[in-house]
Amino acid sequence: MIAATDLPGLGIAGQTPRELFAAVPERIWLALVVIVFGVIVAFLVGVVSRRLLTRAGVPEAIEGTTFERTARKFDTSTVRIVGKLSTYFIVAVAVLFALTVAEIRYFDLFWSEFVAFVPRLFVGILVLIVGIIVGDKAELLVVERLRGVKFPEVGVIPTLVKYSVVYVAVLIALGQVGVQTLALVVLLAAYSFAMVVLTALAIKDLLAAGAAGIFLLLRQPYGIGDEVRVAEQRGIVQEIDLFVTHIETDTGEHVLPNHVVFRTGIVLIRS
Amino acid sequence: MASLTSHLAELVEDADAVLLFSPTASFHDRFADDDADVVVVAPDNDVNADPFVELPVPFRDIRDRIRFGLEGSAAADLVTEGDEVVCVVGVFEGEPDAVIRVTVDETAQSGIYGLFTDSRADPEVIRDVLEVAIELGKKGQKGKPVGALFVVGDAGKVMSKSRSLSYNPFEKSHVHVGDPIVNVMLKEFSRLDGAFVISDSGKIVSAYRYLEPGAEGVDIPKGLGARHMAGGAITQDTNATAVVLSESDGLVRAFKAGRLVLELDPEEY
Repeated sequence: MIAATDLPGLGIAGQTPRELFAAVPERIWLALVVIVFGVIVAFLVGVVSRRLLTRAGVPEAIEGTTFERTARKFDTSTVRIVGKLSTYFIVAVAVLFALTVAEIRYFDLFWSEFVAFVPRLFVGILVLIVGIIVGDKAELLVVERLRGVKFPEVGVIPTLVKYSVVYVAVLIALGQVGVQTLALVVLLAAYSFAMVVLTALAIKDLLAAGAAGIFLLLRQPYGIGDEVRVAEQRGIVQEIDLFVTHIETDTGEHVLPNHVVFRTGIVLIRS
Repeated sequence: MASLTSHLAELVEDADAVLLFSPTASFHDRFADDDADVVVVAPDNDVNADPFVELPVPFRDIRDRIRFGLEGSAAADLVTEGDEVVCVVGVFEGEPDAVIRVTVDETAQSGIYGLFTDSRADPEVIRDVLEVAIELGKKGQKGKPVGALFVVGDAGKVMSKSRSLSYNPFEKSHVHVGDPIVNVMLKEFSRLDGAFVISDSGKIVSAYRYLEPGAEGVDIPKGLGARHMAGGAITQDTNATAVVLSESDGLVRAFKAGRLVLELDPEEY
């Protein structure tokens, strides 16, 4: 006040905001404070989440995935997108909270639904991003694993893995937002059922051989160098692994699946 | 006046093939539209070259390295008897710095390539065993030089042609060469007498084996001891490969079919 009388030019300026302050209802001010506070918190959360994700090694883990590369093309990164997303989410919550504080009644009905919807939208988008990245990553891992296999047909498998993961992510995201997904779930169930049944059928023998192999490796009824007779083959055991036993006879090296060894029994020949 | 370039040009004239040993990508690209066949010989196919011969051990002896490259190329029908081959190798560290011209002579096969690829055991297993032997030769057991005998591949036959000197420490265990922890274990067990028997896939079948092969007609250099003789002889009787670390001169030698195929000095690796 003393400063205002000393400087008459500022005296008028000081007076005007004071009137303005009085003219606007208190709760509007409160709402403004909430918004400012929300924006600050949102910014901080964005920065912290970005740091946390970086510290957790997320950028290295998702290096080279399609999503990350697309993000890079737009001069941003996945971590930054997730950070931004959390920022926007908190800003949105702050704005809604401010509107509630300001008691803008005529929006009530609309807002109450919207308020419930925002977190779900946020989670949906997050699930979608995570799903796409995990799908990309799974594809890369499978490609790496299959590098030694030189069949062109093998290229289908990584893509299949990727889209399976993305499909599930889309389902969850849609479910979050509240879209009817029953048909898609049925499709998924049919797909996974077919996968399980076909895979089980295809690797039935491998499973049996593996189970027998575990017993053979643990108990070692016969070892490398023993002379044995298995399934009409008499020879020297050359190698035992989880799935097969190599037996060298005079005519050649027989590779017998372990479940055959197990089923027919082993004759140890001691000379 | 003729310059140095024209004097040395005949070194690479009319070459049928070029062997590039561990070239950089840009160096390899320079040969892309050459008349001669370009074969890359390297530990890893970094340059995605098509005719590629994998070098399992970075042989320090240039002759071994070139022999390996030549025999590998011959096995893949990239070069044939009588071809003139120019080898670009790095004698000192890093960049290729030497050009060597050789004529392919199939009668003078040393078997160094076959040691890895034609053995019963997997090439990686033979490489791992060589690495263990080299490391053992370098460090010894508690500072003292040690000897060791590894018989790799055809383990069934080797086991039936040998007997146990004592209880087998590897009985009912499932350890493979190449695991770092196993290499330490092998070093500890190297003080035991007898041979290590390793299967085709690298499983350590037994230690403490006394080999009983027939030693007739084994052609190994005179002056090598009983360990080398036993190692050489077992490879003649079976399809195994023997890797022997000499206690007296510290060299690692590989035998196949009763013949000395490779000799390495651990100190150079």
